[in-house]
This record gives sequence, C-alpha cells and structure tokens, in this order.
Amino acid sequence: MKYYGGCDAGSTYTKCAIVDETGKLVASVTSRSRINPVLSAQAALDEAVATLDDLKGAKDLAYLIGTGYGRNKVPFADENISEISCHAMGVHVVDPSVKSILDIGGQDVKGIAIDADGTVLNFAMNDKCSAGTGRFFEAMAHAFEMPLDEFSKLSLKAKNVIPITAQCTVFAESEVISLVGEGKPMDEIAAGIQLSVAKRCFVMAKKAAATDSIALTGGCAKNHGLKQAIERVLKIKVVDLPVDPQLMGALGAAEYARQKGLASAKA
Amino acid sequence: MKDLKHLYYLENLLQDANNNLVREAQAGGRLAVGSVCSLIPEVLLSLPGCFPVRLRAPNTGSIDLGTYYMTSMSCECCRALLERAVEGGYKFLDCIIAPDACAQMNRCVENIDLLKLCDKEKFFISYSDVPMKSDETALRHYVKQMRIRVLEQLSGVYGVDVSDAALRAAVLGHNEACRLITAIGEYRKEDNPRITGYEFAVLCTATYCCPKDLLVDKLRETLDELGSRQPDSGKNFRARVVVAGSEIDNPDLIRLIEGSGALVVADRFCFGSLPGRQEIVLNDGEDVLLQICRQYLAWGKCARFMDTAKIEERQSYIDELAKSYHADGIIFEQQKFCDYWGYERALGSRVMRDDYGYPVLSVDLPYAVGTNAQLRTRVQAFVESIEIKNIQGKVTR
Repeated sequence: MKYYGGCDAGSTYTKCAIVDETGKLVASVTSRSRINPVLSAQAALDEAVATLDDLKGAKDLAYLIGTGYGRNKVPFADENISEISCHAMGVHVVDPSVKSILDIGGQDVKGIAIDADGTVLNFAMNDKCSAGTGRFFEAMAHAFEMPLDEFSKLSLKAKNVIPITAQCTVFAESEVISLVGEGKPMDEIAAGIQLSVAKRCFVMAKKAAATDSIALTGGCAKNHGLKQAIERVLKIKVVDLPVDPQLMGALGAAEYARQKGLASAKA
Repeated sequence: MKDLKHLYYLENLLQDANNNLVREAQAGGRLAVGSVCSLIPEVLLSLPGCFPVRLRAPNTGSIDLGTYYMTSMSCECCRALLERAVEGGYKFLDCIIAPDACAQMNRCVENIDLLKLCDKEKFFISYSDVPMKSDETALRHYVKQMRIRVLEQLSGVYGVDVSDAALRAAVLGHNEACRLITAIGEYRKEDNPRITGYEFAVLCTATYCCPKDLLVDKLRETLDELGSRQPDSGKNFRARVVVAGSEIDNPDLIRLIEGSGALVVADRFCFGSLPGRQEIVLNDGEDVLLQICRQYLAWGKCARFMDTAKIEERQSYIDELAKSYHADGIIFEQQKFCDYWGYERALGSRVMRDDYGYPVLSVDLPYAVGTNAQLRTRVQAFVESIEIKNIQGKVTR
C-alpha cells in the first residue's frame, strides 16, 4: 500500500494528514508550531508516520505536499501548494456539497468559493491585521484567564451582547479588562467578542459567494461561540464537517499528493 | 539561466536615488531634475545639460515621518517619498517638476517645499496643470503648461537651452534608450522567455532613475547578450501574467510574484514599459513640443484620464497585451490608498474577468513589500487556479 502526505505548516499550529491510495485518511497530527517551520513540520510528520507500520519515515511517503505559511520549508516535500487551494480540496473531499468556506486561521481569514471539482473558484483574504483570527481569540482567552476551549463556549449561555468597539487585538484586550473590571457579565462580554469577529467574517463570506450555507475551517472553526455568532450575523447555516476542520488544509494537500502521485505513477 | 552580465551593477544602482550614475552626471555639471509622474514628459527633462530622476524610496522601512505630515489615509508611495526626503535622500536634486495630477503626490511635493528638504541655492519646484482628457482642447492646454511650467522654468532659473533643436536632441537620446528597452522587452513574448520579468523590471526601472545616456551602453550590451542567451530547458514558471496598475518601482515585487510561479510578461504600471518606453516620432513641419505632448496624451494610460473612451482604451490595452504576450491571467494592483487606481482596480478587475474572460487577481499593495508571505500565498493560489482551469479547459475566452 502506498501512502500520500500533506503537511500544513501554519503560523500557530502544524497539521499533518496521511491518506492511502483510496483517499482514506489513515493518520493525522496537530501540534503547536515552533518558530522554525522545518522543525515543526518534521516533528508532525514523524509523529504521523509513526502510527503506520508500513512507513519508517516521511521520505517513505509516495508523494508529499507542503502547504501553509511554511509550505516551502516542509522536509521531503515533493512540492508545495497554497493553503487556499488545499482548504478547498480538503473540504471537497469530506463534503462535496459545500461550496463556500471561511478559513479562520492563526493570523488571517480567507473566504473561498469552491468549484464542483474541489478547485478554487474565487477567494478573498484579510491579512492586514490579526484581529478576528486565532491569535485574537488566544489573547481574549488569556484576558479571561481561561483555556481557549472554555472561552469558546462561554458566550453560548449569554442573554445579552456587550459590544466590543476596539478593532485592534491589543486594544480589545484592554477593553475587555476594563469591562470585566466594571463587573459586566463575562459571558456577555464574550458574546460581544464573538460578534465582532463574526462581523469581520461577513465580507469574506460574501466574497466566497456564500448564500445559504458555509463551512468553517482552521483552528477557529472549533470555536462554538463563533460558529453561533456567524450563523446569527450572516444568517446562513454553518455546515458541520465530518472531519476535524483544523485538518482541512493538510487533508487537501494529502489529496492533491494522492492525485499527483497516482498520475505520475501512471506516466 | 546564467545571470545577465550587468544585472548586479544595475541592481546596485537601484539601491539609492542618488546613485553612481546620478553623481557622475552631476559631477559633469548636469542638473538632476526630480520627477514624480509620467504626465510630465521625461524627454522635456532630458534637455542638454539636464537629466530626469524619477523619485523612488529604495529600502523603505517605516513611513512614520511621512505619515505625520500626510496622515495614515494617504497613498503609501507618496508617504514613502516624503519620508525619504525628510531623511535627506533628495538633497542632490536641482529642482522638482511635478504635475498637478494627484492631490496626494502634490501634498508630498508641497511638504518637501515647505520643509525645505532640498536646499540647493537655486532649487525650485514647479507644478503643472495636466489634462484629464486627451482631446484637442486638452492638448492645447497641455502644451501651454509644459511650455510655461517646465521649459520656461528650466530656461529661466538655469539657462537651459529649450529650443526646438535642443528638444530634438533630447528626443534622439530618449528614443535610443526606449528602442533598446522595447527590443529587450520583446523577448518576453517567447514561449519560454530568455529574460525574466524581474530582470526586465531592473533594466526598465533603471532607465527611469538614471541618466539614460550613461546607461545605454549597458542596455545595448544586454540586448546583444540576450540575443544568444539560452533559457533553461524546462520552464521556471507555471503561468504568465500581465501586471497592471499603479506605481511599482521596486523590482523585488516582481521577483516575489515570479517566486510564486507567475512569470510577469507585461508591465502595464507606473515605472513599466507599456506604455512608457515607446519612441517619440517627430515630423519636420510641426512644433516639436506640440508633437511630444500629443504623443504623451495619446499613449497615456494613467487612471487619471477619466473619460469613457480612455477608460475603455485602458481595458482593451490590457487585453491586447495579454494576447500579444500570451498571458494566462492579469494581476491588477494599486498602491494602498491610491485614489485613481483604487477606482480603476475595482472596475478593471471586474471588466477584465467578466467581460474579457481573464482570470484576475486584484490586490492592494504596501509601498514596502518585503518578504510578504500573504502576498505570496495570494499569487500562488491565483497561479494554481489558472493552472487547474487551463488543464480542465475551463478558460472561457
């Protein structure tokens, strides 16, 4: 059996996915990125490969594609593909009915429209500022002195929303601290934070041609409060993907690796 | 491919506005005329005893000083030029001749004036009103402005010879550099071009910021060298693109685009060659200045020309370039906060995609690009979408 790999060396997390010849996901790893993307990718690949008896190392993969900001630093990669193309393909593989994606990663937000074959039809990217990305949520969770997962659920029980006016991560953190100091309910402040990010996603979703449904990918897709806020603000259904949404870039890269590996074997 | 013989030398010239060739020309007693826009014909600044220097701010980092004077909502290029002026980077200039074309560039030049950032004894700044249309009335106005705001200023302050004979001599020199650049640029039409977009951008940008007569030997040798240059056997690119839009004075941006898989085969931007490096054709019967101005108005592809005919002409010109340079797609760009190109990019991107059927990537750019991982991602994703659509035969045109 041959195996094909995708490694998404992201700014915050490094993800690795391995598929077999049929395209079935057989191994995956998500780990915190280090400052050196080569080391991050190497560690994630080693960990993923170790779960498969047939493989001794990443170089035994029949084809490997790097993606993410460190895509050209992935060891043993045969080539690299942008994360925009890979997220589209990853989502297409797990749910071909999805036509629009919001990829909310560690440091940017992308709206992607997917064609019928999983390729990119159109995309838009907000990369000017970290507000509204994973880094923003990490800063907010830090301000609330709670783990990210706990913070992501905090807004779900809020009865009101306290608007957050600051557009900058640093200033928003100060605003949150002031509101907490004033004794405002934590869940309502959290709801305000989720709402502000959802509004930032609105433009990207429109550019991704989202009409009645959209899928979230990237680490922030696991943020329950954000999902609820996006459904509220965008007035569209957020599709639940059957596979970890944070893995979509790596999975798309692995699928491209499979297609390219099989094609080159035939040639 | 083996590096072009003069590439390193030319790259070094682009590291400073006051470069070696500028210093050499000034040491020979010639006047350095600062220029900020193609709407002042370069050839008028190339009269005997003068040479034009199109202002750039190489190796820009922060633009906080420029932002203090111009606010954070103005064009980054204008702010970067002012920043460089505040740093003392344009003190070598003998004058600046600017068009009253873009309010933001005017503020930049006005601040250079008010802050006395260029302090040579006879230094002056002249503003010219330039037309927004290209009809006969506009031409008459343009000629008059060039005469009183450019020629009479140079003649009055520095005694520059502005006779028809002097203008004809300037045209001859200008044309030689343009002919060489155009001939070099023709190689970009090849299936596997023997020159990259980056290399061409270095050559072309150098012609805007160095005395052309001191550069032509290097251009001539480069053209000869290209005649026998062998491109790499395999193609080092995945798609061919036209880059259209506002100011790109930094070839590193072209290198970044090409590093993401898109070979830049045509340069329809400020500091580019299309248009910008055509020869000026003169007849013997008419006034020389009139002929020069007429040709500049006819070529003009600046987004400041706002009549419908010019807007449509700009779009069809990009289409012509894409066809003749065999481009797969178009990158439409603008300097962040550029008013004219902001509008043009919004409209042009849609028209080129929906009406002409080209894949289009639309981006706004900071003045200092650096390594810009985000831009790399955008361009690479664009290239991948072109590649896949081409394979699948989905391109509609």
